Amino acid sequence: MSDQIQKPSTRKGKKMLPVGHYRGLSSWTIAFFIFLYLPIIVLIVYSFNANRMVMNWGGFGIDWYLKAFNNSDIQKAVWNSLIVATVATVFATAIATIGALVLARGGNFRGKTVSLGLITLPLMVPEIVTAVAVLIFFSAIGMNLGLGNVIIAHITFCIPFAFMPIRARLEGMDTTLEQAGRDLYASQWETFRFVTMPLLMPGIVAGAMLAFVISMDDFIITLMVGGAGSTTLPVYIYSMIRRGLTPEINAVSTMLLLASIAIVTAYWILSRKTQTSTEH
Amino acid sequence: MTTAVDIRGVTKIYSPDSNQAVKALDNVSLTINDNEFFTLLGPSGCGKTTLLRLIAGFEQVSGGEIMLFDEEIENLEPNRRPVNTVFQHYALFPHMTVANNVAFGLERLKKPKPEIKATVERVLTLVKMKELGDRRPNQLSGGQQQRVALARALAPSPKVLLLDEPLSALDLKLRQAMREELKQLQRETGITFVFVTHDQEEALAMSDRIAVMSNGEIQQIGKPTDIYEHPVNRFVADFIGDTNFLDGEIVDLNDDLLTCRIGAQSLFETENSGHHKVGDQVTLFLRPEKIMLSVLDQENDSGNRPGKVKNLVYLGNQAAYTVDMGDGIELTAQARPREDGELPFAIGDPIAVSFSARALKVLAQ
Repeated sequence: MSDQIQKPSTRKGKKMLPVGHYRGLSSWTIAFFIFLYLPIIVLIVYSFNANRMVMNWGGFGIDWYLKAFNNSDIQKAVWNSLIVATVATVFATAIATIGALVLARGGNFRGKTVSLGLITLPLMVPEIVTAVAVLIFFSAIGMNLGLGNVIIAHITFCIPFAFMPIRARLEGMDTTLEQAGRDLYASQWETFRFVTMPLLMPGIVAGAMLAFVISMDDFIITLMVGGAGSTTLPVYIYSMIRRGLTPEINAVSTMLLLASIAIVTAYWILSRKTQTSTEH
Repeated sequence: MTTAVDIRGVTKIYSPDSNQAVKALDNVSLTINDNEFFTLLGPSGCGKTTLLRLIAGFEQVSGGEIMLFDEEIENLEPNRRPVNTVFQHYALFPHMTVANNVAFGLERLKKPKPEIKATVERVLTLVKMKELGDRRPNQLSGGQQQRVALARALAPSPKVLLLDEPLSALDLKLRQAMREELKQLQRETGITFVFVTHDQEEALAMSDRIAVMSNGEIQQIGKPTDIYEHPVNRFVADFIGDTNFLDGEIVDLNDDLLTCRIGAQSLFETENSGHHKVGDQVTLFLRPEKIMLSVLDQENDSGNRPGKVKNLVYLGNQAAYTVDMGDGIELTAQARPREDGELPFAIGDPIAVSFSARALKVLAQ
């Protein structure tokens, strides 16, 4: 009896049913996560394999990490990756910041919507299309700067990734703070320097991290644009696979994964801080 | 008396070139005296905040001019104007401490360091926030943020302080306490305050003078008592306080009194101001607190009008009665509860209503 009375009241209160209510959902969820992460876990585990064969477990060892560290080609590739990612991040973030400032604070101007669309469009363009287009462009104008070509290509596709968190931060920022700055005798530049910039910083850092990770991970465009001597880590890993699988690949991949996780985690912590500091 | 702010025929049109042009201010003129607590009062959208933003320099006038102590300020950037603003939601810099917030304006003015330190301490003491200088704004309550916003705006000693509904985000008790503090602060500092609000009670309580605005125009400027007792039109009478309006026609007059017919045959007498003649259509207004309610005594009727309690709203210290006077006339009146706390009249009670001819006033059309 009491059961019957309670039922409609729960529905009225829009109380959410526990997910366990849907039979089989939890097993599906677990299966999904296994499918998603098992290969990565296997990759990490086998990077500690003492055996030469990737797929045969021969005991625990960190030999492949040592070997990878001492491989001068890998060192060169890591170095290239870091240079490309760092330079691309700096430029892409600077351009994205200026773009976001103009779009969020520049008032209404002709072509504002179009500009916004054009900045974010690269996110939707298939990467291979961008890669081919950039390659054709470089060869058409006969530009061959080695790593420079790769950097320029990376800057272009990193801009929208850096742009998004910066713009989101700006849009969420109270414009009266800037007015308060002007009201308290700060010139336009001083207002930017002492009010807008410090408040925008978490967005800029988040954008930069995103750009860095995207650049570090990029394969297709780098493969197309990068000539000999400008091999980055992902491209080098790919070439290693073609020469035969060894746990060294696992070790290098694991390190790349760790670097990515570290940056994404930093990004996550930072954006949480951002949220709490905007609430007042 | 020195004029602090002189607003001369100011018009403001938002997005004038588009088809959504909005006229926020229409040929507004007013002068604000030095050392005055001046309030811009009106419903939302009346243009009061726009006027404040024009003085601060966040918006540009579309026509007319604004003088600050006899200086044309139209071409001055906001940071070159010797005015400071207390924003509605305070707009404190979240990344700075309270003390740094307050010091911000002084630092931009390139004041020497020791002077900045002393001033920050002085104004924080003034608003009773001296102990909390190291806190961040998000560690403060609404009332404390309000005080910091005040301190920050007062620190550079502006010639005019602009306050944009600064109390609207506070709860009632705090709001009432802050009213007194604001008024006192104004007296102590001697700075001209221009205060924007939609709360008529706030305006009456604090202001030296009030400008009532509506639809981008000034309706009336005057002292709080002028505005309340002698509203120039129906809008002002209606917006400030509670009012009974009676529409009718003048049927008779002598040197002292006008006689108006309201409804079919009810006659009301009011003082003759000499501006009207028989046959004029007029609106009379009568404040509820000027109406006396008493027990109806048929035998001994001395000018009282009979009525019937139609509705009542209990407000604690008083009750608001709606009295049906017959002939389609309803009046709102007030009565205090008796000493034992019971209300003197109940719904449906016959009742006697009286008020003097002086309490009933003719509104200008």
